[in-house]
Amino acid sequence: MTLKLQLIKELRVPIDAGCICPDTFAGKSLNEIAELQIWEGNRKRLLNSLFELKEDSQETPDETNIHLTGNLSRVQRIGAGMKGGEITVQGDVGMHLGEKMLGGTIMVEGNAGSWTGSAMKGGTIIVKKNAGDYIGGAYRGSTKGMQGGTIIIHGDAGTEVGCYMRNGLIKIQGNVAQFVGIRMRNGTIVVQGSAAERAGAFMTGGKIIICNNVTSILPSFSIDSIKSKAKAEGEAIKGPFYLFIGDLADHGNGKLYVSKNKNEYLKSFEEFL
Amino acid sequence: MPVIDNVTCPVCGTLCDDLSVTVKENAIIDVKNACAVSEAKFMSFSNPKHRNLRPLIRKNGKLIESTFEEAVEKSAQILVDASYPILYGWSCTSCEAIRVGLELAEEVGGITDNTSTVCHGPSILSIQNLGIPTCTLGQIRHRADLIIYWASDPYSAHPRHMERYTAFSDGRFQESEWEHFVTRLRGILGRRRLNRASELVLMKEASLPVFSGQKLPPKFETRKRKVIVVDVRKTHSAEFADFFLQVEPNKDFELFQALRLLVRDGELEVNQVAGVPVDLLEEVADALVGCDFGALFFGVGLTMSSGKLQNIDAAIALTQDLNLRTKFVIMPMRGHFNVAGANVVYTWQTGYPFALDFSQNYPRYNPGETSVVDILSHDKADAGLIVASDPVSNFPRSAVENLVKNPLIVIDPVISPTTMVADVVFPSAFVGIEVDGTAYRMDRVPLPMKKLVDPPSLCHSDEEILRRILHQVKRIKQQRRKL
Repeated sequence: MTLKLQLIKELRVPIDAGCICPDTFAGKSLNEIAELQIWEGNRKRLLNSLFELKEDSQETPDETNIHLTGNLSRVQRIGAGMKGGEITVQGDVGMHLGEKMLGGTIMVEGNAGSWTGSAMKGGTIIVKKNAGDYIGGAYRGSTKGMQGGTIIIHGDAGTEVGCYMRNGLIKIQGNVAQFVGIRMRNGTIVVQGSAAERAGAFMTGGKIIICNNVTSILPSFSIDSIKSKAKAEGEAIKGPFYLFIGDLADHGNGKLYVSKNKNEYLKSFEEFL
Repeated sequence: MPVIDNVTCPVCGTLCDDLSVTVKENAIIDVKNACAVSEAKFMSFSNPKHRNLRPLIRKNGKLIESTFEEAVEKSAQILVDASYPILYGWSCTSCEAIRVGLELAEEVGGITDNTSTVCHGPSILSIQNLGIPTCTLGQIRHRADLIIYWASDPYSAHPRHMERYTAFSDGRFQESEWEHFVTRLRGILGRRRLNRASELVLMKEASLPVFSGQKLPPKFETRKRKVIVVDVRKTHSAEFADFFLQVEPNKDFELFQALRLLVRDGELEVNQVAGVPVDLLEEVADALVGCDFGALFFGVGLTMSSGKLQNIDAAIALTQDLNLRTKFVIMPMRGHFNVAGANVVYTWQTGYPFALDFSQNYPRYNPGETSVVDILSHDKADAGLIVASDPVSNFPRSAVENLVKNPLIVIDPVISPTTMVADVVFPSAFVGIEVDGTAYRMDRVPLPMKKLVDPPSLCHSDEEILRRILHQVKRIKQQRRKL
């Protein structure tokens, strides 16, 4: 069964809506869900003061689907900690989408904010347009970024994608800004588009695959070989790729695959092979 | 005439506490030991042309004089009615005022942020990431034999920093390099005159007399106290340095990482990094490792250029790497005189140093989300209180546009672009001149600020004004609860 939530108010201040989660809705009547509390700035509100609710929910979380519509770019923490079920969003969505989620699927038809899928352990997040910074990253002060699951961004992503990533897969079909895979320890990041400078800074493990142009390679990376293919979670991506190892300044052993054909300027590294 | 000694200067983060101020009939007539910036403040702070002298409230689009009570009532109403107010500034006031400000932020459920959000906020994030190997400035004065100013220009921004704490200070174990510098300065001036003459005669542009190039200067290693300046352009401070290393703009991160690799005896597979040849970089790495006690001071050039906190992460990591081989410390060159104090008071009260969100009745911290510039740029706030700061002059345009759309309260001793667009203006007294208080130096040493003269009759201290607003906020909330 699907529960439909339609935003009925134009938002000014940020909304903390951590309760919009299949696990929270499961087993509750429509009236009980309508009276869940959310924060609008520093005011406590009921869910039905901002959303129009339709349909009902079912008891098992795996079968609860939530369908959100409206401009939710100021609504934060949707699907935080979710274990199962599905959330679909028609429109943009705010920060911390699916933070610490363990399972289930979140599908966003518009743009997503920063910290999407931060510290997530399982499940899938799909964003059809662009996403902000720190996708699959960690919180301030934490060294535990994404630890499992999959994030797929169809558009571009901001800085520090996969910061402190420990496992899982992030696929960006567009371009990424600086510091993709910064401090990552394990897991895989695939960038179909181009990447700005400083890819893999401070990384100690894991794999970053950049299929298009990369602005520059950090001096603390060393060329290892030229590979015809790169493997990403069972899928083979056609190259050829330069394989760099780094970040050597941190005794790192991360793998940075960079398209050979799209980065002619890296030819000078071939003399070290 | 009474001369007040050991006055702490309320200008920059160096917080010089050896000023002598002469006061006559409630006016400062002389100040000794001060730098040009400090002297300008002490000698002209009371100029009525620059000062707010009465509380003002905007009515029908114009700022009209009002009573203090009316301004307090209006401010309290604005803050209580707001769903997401921001309380910003705090770096040019006393720790005592900041403490009251935090209580006010908690009471109104607002966002409170200090000016480190637009200067050394990234440094704080890095310190939380990696820790910081640092010490007090006294240690550096007595022991440091290699001083690096990276992306900071102390000559212009912290004029007495070198004289009091680094190259030109006479330490217990390190001598001042002043005489050596004066000799060199004579040479520099002579060369300048020659260059100027050659400019006039040969119509050729003269080269700048700074020690830089492809190699460290001869006998660099044998010199007692060495200064290296790293910057994107030849600053005034570069003229004082034994060596100036020019880095390409926005490439500091690469340079740090390369240096880290070299310090760890690694090899680079490139010929140059950030415009610096690798051979020179190896010499610099040797000099870093070869010192007995090194100190790296970094400025806003690192924190606010491309890479932001990652530049500082790399700088701290370099310092940590160097500590495997020698003794090295690192310190941010804090700007306003009490910006370090703002961080200290915030941390002591809430656990977090800046970008605090009290909207859910407990402190939350996530710079990027709860930092004032991000909130204003996305137009999420609905009221503002600015204390001792001028964000209209230095915030991004979109943030300023959104700030001035909302009701705005400003507490400031001087007339600034921010007070001009405010809805309520409180005239306040200068901390460290007209009221006393506590401030923290850039190395987080607290120093007392002295009261030298009486403030104008309607100018109260920031602390007093904030206490009155807080009291009124509590009263209004109590009344509303009863209803």
